[in-house]
Amino acid sequence: MHARIREVPALIALVALASLSALAWLPGEALAAPTAQAILTASDAVRNPDKPFSLTVTLIEYRNARQTDGNTLNVYSKAEAAGGQFRSLIRFAAPVRDMNKLMLKNGNDLWFFDPSSKASIRLSPQQRLLGQAANGDVVTVNLARDYRAELAGEETIQDGDRQPRKCHKLVLAGIASDVTYHRIEMWIDVATSRPVKAKFYTESGQLLKTAYYRRYQPQLGAERPTEAVIIDGLDPNWVTVMRYSDYAYRDIPEAWLQRDYLPRFRPE
Amino acid sequence: MTARRAPGVSVRVLARILARVFVGVLAGSVACASARASDDAALSIADQATAVPEEARDWRFYAEGALRESTRRATGAVVHGERLSFDLRYDKAIAPGWRVVFADRLDMNRYYGGAGDGNVNTLKEAYLSWQAQPDRIADLGRINVRNGVATGYNPTDYFKAGAVRSVSSLDPASLRENRLGSAMLRGQALWEGGSVSALYSPKLADRPNPGAYNLDLGSTNRRDRWLVSVSQQVGALNPQVLLSGGEGQSAQLGLNLTGLLNDATVAFAEWSGGRSRSLLTQALAGADDTAFRNRVAAGLTYTTPWNLTLTAEVDYNGAGLEKDAWNALRSGSLAAYGRYRTFVTPLQDPATRHSLFFYATWTDALMKHLDLSAMVRRDAADASRLQWIEVRYHWTRVDLALQAQVNSGHPTSNFGAATDRRLTQVVLRYFF
Repeated sequence: MHARIREVPALIALVALASLSALAWLPGEALAAPTAQAILTASDAVRNPDKPFSLTVTLIEYRNARQTDGNTLNVYSKAEAAGGQFRSLIRFAAPVRDMNKLMLKNGNDLWFFDPSSKASIRLSPQQRLLGQAANGDVVTVNLARDYRAELAGEETIQDGDRQPRKCHKLVLAGIASDVTYHRIEMWIDVATSRPVKAKFYTESGQLLKTAYYRRYQPQLGAERPTEAVIIDGLDPNWVTVMRYSDYAYRDIPEAWLQRDYLPRFRPE
Repeated sequence: MTARRAPGVSVRVLARILARVFVGVLAGSVACASARASDDAALSIADQATAVPEEARDWRFYAEGALRESTRRATGAVVHGERLSFDLRYDKAIAPGWRVVFADRLDMNRYYGGAGDGNVNTLKEAYLSWQAQPDRIADLGRINVRNGVATGYNPTDYFKAGAVRSVSSLDPASLRENRLGSAMLRGQALWEGGSVSALYSPKLADRPNPGAYNLDLGSTNRRDRWLVSVSQQVGALNPQVLLSGGEGQSAQLGLNLTGLLNDATVAFAEWSGGRSRSLLTQALAGADDTAFRNRVAAGLTYTTPWNLTLTAEVDYNGAGLEKDAWNALRSGSLAAYGRYRTFVTPLQDPATRHSLFFYATWTDALMKHLDLSAMVRRDAADASRLQWIEVRYHWTRVDLALQAQVNSGHPTSNFGAATDRRLTQVVLRYFF
């Protein structure tokens, strides 16, 4: 979900998940508590499919309970073989004025392409195309690659469905210089490793946004969140709902994930 | 005394500390309760969200109407005009690996008493594309090939000359979008992080044809041309090297570079160099002064935390006129001056050697859906300026824009010589 994040290869994520599952069967004395980083890795595996994939992201933005904006994006993601960083191609499907415009995100390498003017424009991470959502919010990320996690205890919090949920509370500090958020607090379901809630902060400690992950459904072989509700840190009446649908595994050739392919890109 | 006072002070201090702790806890509880209430409210809104994903279409079509008023430099007369435009872009996969692209614009201008009156159709693109393999592609037809990473001036945009048939706005984005492609055969091979592209654009006509609905191949295919470009990601620089040539011109080498300076700043540099005659001797058929000439555009784009994007660019045209030569031309024969300007304008090259370009765009400025854009071009030789500003509000299918343009400077200066001193127009665009 958040930008400039590198993903652990799917195999590592699965091994981590399998290890956590195996640990659960060990006698209590022999059971070593999972490390904060392992909890985060397991949570990443819940959000991120293990092979190149595409999905549709529908963003609905509200101000003071009134819908003020709407976008539909088709996102194509693939993890880098070396390093596991996710690269994403984002196609704007709606609104009509932005239709078929493209954004390529490869870490901090961001390009915007308009098929009308044929212009490929390099963007800085601070340049937002989607209102409240950072460009990195709409693409797949693997937090365990770019953040160092510390366990801050267990808390029972209210989840996105307003149910009490026992969670690990992790505090994430950015390792890489190109992370979208300097600090994140994240609550991860103790029982299922599902991300439940996250708070994102600036370097100065100001709350930027709060996100709830909810509406878990079976998608590409796992229960994955199909909705994130993002609440602005300064103005809680500014709410963005991000819905994920049409998950599908895709063959995404390496050659497609570069600036020069943007004028060529046409989804099948 | 001290012994007596000490316990009393301690009690007061303790009471204060307890009070602060109590107030702090209470405030914290209130803050937590408030945060939870706002989170609950947000989640309730999300519960009721009903928007469904929309499918992208193969086509985009809009109609645009404009009313404009301009003030003539020479007479001070106020001239009114209207424009109705239709713009279609169609891009469809017709079979596995095959794609057809068509883009056309019709401008119906009614500038009473002004130049540019009448209908002008611009066939922007019409080509067939064959993707033999995921990384091998060939195209045939009229294609708008546009290179260059700069915003105001693109020395490596080798196919821009003569491509603009009708100017509806001086916004650089509009000039790049609303122009003729060139007829060509193009092939491209891609690999991880890089690509090579080669194209050949043949001569198909002898001279431009101003006919309203003419394909006007004479504006874009008046001579044989070719271009090879290679890109390879090197770190975060994304360099692109180009080599362009054709009938009656020496090969021109080009380079495009971009880099990220920090989270908010992009640096870009664009260069083209090669042997060529100066624009003046080309325009006036003067003595051959062929020499190696550079063209450069370099600058920075900075985005503020509130999404205001500022671009500053320095432009250099080694084939343009230096200050002294420019001043001599302006103060000399009016016919020569006119011929020079008539020659340079369609090339989309700066008339003089040095100029500055500033562009600002602020999306969701002050309120949602309100975008502000502003542009200044400044000629360093004569200090003339072109200033342009746009306020645009957009709904789901409708854009409403107010544009204003002011050309300042001496009547023979680069920008001051424009026919209109001031121009304002209201533009209404509807997307079907």
